[in-house]
Amino acid sequence: MLACLDHLREIDLLSTFIRMLLAMICGGMIGIERSCRRRPAGFRTHILICLGAAMTTLTSQYLYTKLSYYTDIARLGAQVVVGIGFIGAGTIMVTRQRRVKGLTTAAGLWSTAIIGLCCGAGFYEGAVCAAVMVMLVEGVFSKFEFRLMNNARQFSVLVGYKDMDAFNNVIRYIRDLDLEINDLEITRRSGEKGENGFASFSLRIHRKIQPDEIVRDLSRVAGILTVEEM
Amino acid sequence: MTQLALMIDCLRELNMASVFLRMTLAVICGGMIGLEREQRRQPAGFRTYILICLGSATAMMLGEYDALMLVSGWGESAAQPNTDVCRFGAQVINGIGFLGAGTIIVTGRQEVKGLTTSAGLWASACMGLAIGAGFYECMLIGFMMIVMTNNVLRRLESFVLTHSKIQNIYLEFDDMADLGAIVAEIKAMGASIYEVDIDRFRSNCADKPSAVISLRLPHRQIRTHLLTALAQTPSVRTVEEL
Repeated sequence: MLACLDHLREIDLLSTFIRMLLAMICGGMIGIERSCRRRPAGFRTHILICLGAAMTTLTSQYLYTKLSYYTDIARLGAQVVVGIGFIGAGTIMVTRQRRVKGLTTAAGLWSTAIIGLCCGAGFYEGAVCAAVMVMLVEGVFSKFEFRLMNNARQFSVLVGYKDMDAFNNVIRYIRDLDLEINDLEITRRSGEKGENGFASFSLRIHRKIQPDEIVRDLSRVAGILTVEEM
Repeated sequence: MTQLALMIDCLRELNMASVFLRMTLAVICGGMIGLEREQRRQPAGFRTYILICLGSATAMMLGEYDALMLVSGWGESAAQPNTDVCRFGAQVINGIGFLGAGTIIVTGRQEVKGLTTSAGLWASACMGLAIGAGFYECMLIGFMMIVMTNNVLRRLESFVLTHSKIQNIYLEFDDMADLGAIVAEIKAMGASIYEVDIDRFRSNCADKPSAVISLRLPHRQIRTHLLTALAQTPSVRTVEEL
């Protein structure tokens, strides 16, 4: 631990202010990146959570060291770990395609609360390190993850087809390429042009084939009206 | 000067004057944060904040009272005369987490709302604990920072939001067949689509399919341009920026 920060590890007005300011900065930095990405938990949410968490560890340290009460110095902070779990759970939702969304935001919010605990306890080194790491994970790794998803993993395509024969052709084409269908949703529509159907495929593709090729080949299958990559 | 210091030290202990002062401070601080939220017509307003702040301050003082009584009166007959002064207060943090989670809703358009409200409630509960503990410095700083977050930083947040390249668009359109054309139109503007969430079976307006599209704009200037272009597409009934 850095010795130069030792005089800030005691509770007084200055260290209280610095800890809470640090909590605000850490929470704000993590939050503003979330805001930029239009995630439900943004700038202010992160700041408030981080600030609140810092106040809990500050309070228990105050009770323990200044007022010499008999207490477990970690008890207040420990409940933050649970309490923010509940709030984070509220950001998680199941979309209509039965995918779970908002987990990363919830996890980030929870990590921010832990950073707040560190700030309040005067564990400045831990707080700053963790904040930098969280920002790195949420900011940089998300691009990496997106690229990973984009290139090698998941590929969604919306196919409009004329009749069941055409649909079977699509299925056969996908099977021939040895692609795995993760999710398939079909809607039928009867219009003036007869029976048309739409299917949204979610495919797991391998590296040997490019998504563009799939789109091009699919549009050449007999009876296919539209192919759109999503 | 020494008298003032003595008085403040006296107020750090639990006695009639400090109980009254802390509760008053809890009402004032909670009320001022709540009033601002009330004016913005947020679900948790004036009284909600007061009650939460007051409740958590009282819970903390209850713990202190127990600790005090164990030292002075009850301790003689008890087998082990100590309790954790934080035990009541600690559960407040947990409990308000629950309460806050109740203010969060997911709308039919896949938006999460009420998250800042629940975070604000939770932060004021933590401030209430500091008040109950007689940690007046923390209360003062915390109160100012929460108010600042709700006022000044709100503007900063909305500035960031309007300058963000990521955009979520809610669309209602006539027919599933048109989605392909809509997606093609968005792509023609150079925007890349992260995610499309389609709904055809909405119970309240089942006749129109809808979709929530998350996309990334190539540059910020085409934000409104894209929206108007989508609105002019004949099959699109509703365009809304989320």
